[in-house]
Amino acid sequence: MNVYVCVKQVPDPNAPGKMDPATNRLVREGVELVMDPWDEYGVEAGLQLVEQHGGVLTVISMGPERAKEAMRKALAMGAERGVLVSDPALAGSDALATARALAEAIKRESPDIVICGTESSDGSTGLMPGMLAELLGWPQLTFAKKLAVGDGKATIHRQTEVGFQIVEAPLPVVVTVTGGINEPRYPSLKGIMTAKRKEIVELSVGALGLSADQVGAAGAKEQVLDLAKPEERQSGTIASDEGDGGVKIADFLQQRRFI
Amino acid sequence: MPGSEISREIYWNVTAFSVVLMYLLAGATIAVFTYGFYRRYRLWRLGKPANRLDHVMQRVAAFIAYGPGHGRTARDLYPGLMHLLIFSGFVTLFIGTLMIMVQADFDVQFLHGQFYLFYSLFLDVFGFLAIVGVLMALFQRYVVKPEYLYAMYYDGIVLGLLLANLVTGFGVEGLRMAATELRQGVAWAAWSPVGYVVAQPLVALDPGALQALHTGFWWLHLLLALAFIAYMPYSKMLHSFTSPLNTFLRSFEPKGQLSTPDLETAETFGAGRIRDFTWKDLFDGDACTECGRCTAVCPARSTGKLLDPKLIVLDLRNYITRHERGLLAGRDVAAGDPALPALVGEAIPEQMLWDCTTCRACMQACPVLIEHVPKIVNMRRYLVLEESRFPREVQGVFNNLENRFNPWQLPHQQRAAWAEGLDIPTMAETKGQVEYLLWVGCFGAFDDRNKRVTRALAKILKEAGVSFAILGSEEKCTGDPARRIGNEYLYQMLAQENVETLNGYGVRKIVTQCPHCFNTIRNEYPDFGGRYEVIHHTQLLAELIAQGRIKPTKPVDEHITFHDPCYLGRYNDEYDAPRYILKSIPGLRLSEMAASREKSFCCGAGGGRMFMEEKQGARVNQTRVGMAQATGADVIAAACPFCTVMLEDGITGKGLSEQMRLRDCVELLAESLGEAQAGGSGAG
Repeated sequence: MNVYVCVKQVPDPNAPGKMDPATNRLVREGVELVMDPWDEYGVEAGLQLVEQHGGVLTVISMGPERAKEAMRKALAMGAERGVLVSDPALAGSDALATARALAEAIKRESPDIVICGTESSDGSTGLMPGMLAELLGWPQLTFAKKLAVGDGKATIHRQTEVGFQIVEAPLPVVVTVTGGINEPRYPSLKGIMTAKRKEIVELSVGALGLSADQVGAAGAKEQVLDLAKPEERQSGTIASDEGDGGVKIADFLQQRRFI
Repeated sequence: MPGSEISREIYWNVTAFSVVLMYLLAGATIAVFTYGFYRRYRLWRLGKPANRLDHVMQRVAAFIAYGPGHGRTARDLYPGLMHLLIFSGFVTLFIGTLMIMVQADFDVQFLHGQFYLFYSLFLDVFGFLAIVGVLMALFQRYVVKPEYLYAMYYDGIVLGLLLANLVTGFGVEGLRMAATELRQGVAWAAWSPVGYVVAQPLVALDPGALQALHTGFWWLHLLLALAFIAYMPYSKMLHSFTSPLNTFLRSFEPKGQLSTPDLETAETFGAGRIRDFTWKDLFDGDACTECGRCTAVCPARSTGKLLDPKLIVLDLRNYITRHERGLLAGRDVAAGDPALPALVGEAIPEQMLWDCTTCRACMQACPVLIEHVPKIVNMRRYLVLEESRFPREVQGVFNNLENRFNPWQLPHQQRAAWAEGLDIPTMAETKGQVEYLLWVGCFGAFDDRNKRVTRALAKILKEAGVSFAILGSEEKCTGDPARRIGNEYLYQMLAQENVETLNGYGVRKIVTQCPHCFNTIRNEYPDFGGRYEVIHHTQLLAELIAQGRIKPTKPVDEHITFHDPCYLGRYNDEYDAPRYILKSIPGLRLSEMAASREKSFCCGAGGGRMFMEEKQGARVNQTRVGMAQATGADVIAAACPFCTVMLEDGITGKGLSEQMRLRDCVELLAESLGEAQAGGSGAG
């Protein structure tokens, strides 16, 4: 089975991020860059599929040359090869342009399944996987907290607010996974060492048969108009126990459909 | 032989044929003995090279002190005495036997006259003491049966052979004396006191019967002696040679220094196969006498965990013994050979390795200087670096150390937040123009409880006029937890980065708040080109008190007991500085725990255990708090942030929050200096 996992290099989400007031975008220069921790779940899910069914796990990414560093993390975890779509023309791409570039790259291969995180931790649009499925003409299964493949189809437990739905779709398929799906493995030093020697194929926009105005800032339809601070989080409720503490807690949980 | 001369007839009642046969049998015995040794030697050679032949004079000194000198063996009275009796008895008897050989078979006559009398007395007395020793051993092993001394079948064989050799030896002597000396009424018979006593009831027997019995006993004694010698290299009696040799082969590296492998060129990481260990690691197994002292002092073992340091050593030994042929034929676990079970995971359960706090109590207790902790860490390295198998709660710690340079998810930019309002310069601000770098450490910088200690320390240093600065957010975890959990790769990254920073500022003197940082920077950073004069804060404070630069005058009315941190005490031999501080504080009453100084009992946090769940047995920290409580003290004084967290937790866990508190030495000192407010003296 050929499994593809999309990964993205992002500023370390645990470091306090900075916004560029001129572009209204996140500052990506001079900060610690890592493979998006959300993508670790996708890589782990992909590795488990390959371990079960055999085949090859390829990681695919779009970004500048340095994005390879992030891809090495996935290769260290056990992915076999990488595909990086990299071109100066891609700078400033929005979700659709990114999906277009990735879709073209994926079409050149023969995947059975493409796994993405639910959203990136920097842009957090959550749009790309849906667009990717549309451009590939494949079904998409989203918010998977459990994933199984067999008999030419993929079946997932789709996380919802109150529980989960069981959804299936024929292969090939795009699946987005949630943080609850697995515990990503820690790369062994052997993995880290061999990752240095693993192949990462680089593809330019031209090689994908795309024109420069379809991607990058030129092809972007999204614009960031304004920046605002998120509303401060409401402080929690403190229930004082006057002999009815248990009831209060039960009511609270029930209102929120936890029980 | 003239009857009037004081001596005895050697080979009395032994035919020339018997003597010849004896030598033939002895030759065969030596062959069996040598072959046994050779087989072990072949197995030791499977290990990787390690240089243990430098410092020759110090090695000889160690050999004498720890071998015949019983340097560590005698530290525990009962087993020490027991061993000394058996050891000196058999050495004396062996030398005595050789002397007989020299006289009888090389015809050098010297066993006569007064010399003979003392010779005979000596042998009898030491032989008798050896019997006492063996009886002590039997009593300990089969009557007292301490938990750490679980008896194996071969313990019975060895002790049985020892006793049988001694008893039949005296039997032969007694029979001979009954037939000769006592019958002739020679005056000097009592110079062989044991033989004399044994002979008394035998005199009544008729000479023919005595002769026949003597012949029987002589052969029995001979065969038992040869059997014992032949059995030595195949049993734990091998230790008679390997144990003293092991002290000769001791390490002269700093105790707190683990080996630094070159990860770029290494083909395998850590020790997961026999070939990954050094030959000395394999030799250690054969040096083990199975005395169980390591087991007895292990904080993991004594709180009901799976780990038994003795078994780590013996499992390794048994593995090479059991799979001798396969291993010698070049087979390897890594090749998936079904004949060889996995060393780590099957022969040695992984949980055993994760239970270790690396407190070094086992190594401190071992009479023959076996090195348990490096083996355990080496196997952890294999698990982490090759197999990526470790307790799951540790993964977050690795990620945090890698990305935020502290074990938690705290932003490293906040590392100097504790110093707010204290006006402490950073190295960047002072351009390194200070006497000391104050190395704060992750706990001192981020942990709320320990931040109070750091603040108190910084204030005292300022008051005393010590010139110092901090690295602020340039400081990163030293890597100690990563290294001791087995993530050598992560450790080396952090160590290199820190050394680069330190050398960049030309740092020469470092005072650390944490014994773990202290140990790593002091003993392990030299491998990365970081050579500094490193002291622990208690050492600096003790010095300041001695110089009169700070004067603890305000009485602190507390009954305390001091908990020695492993990485300050056992690893770096500093027991006195914290006690000097405590004793200089008026009003403090100090009671020592039985397990103090080099016998200190770990708080449970070392070796990365701080970040692992404790699922089995009693809690190590609560067990330690129980020991402190037994002294009647109300306050446990600590000198390590790990210990502070663990023991404070232990006090709460045992429900003793009302009766006991934990305070760092610095906090107690601050109070005595009249800075109670500054240091924050509360426990909660």
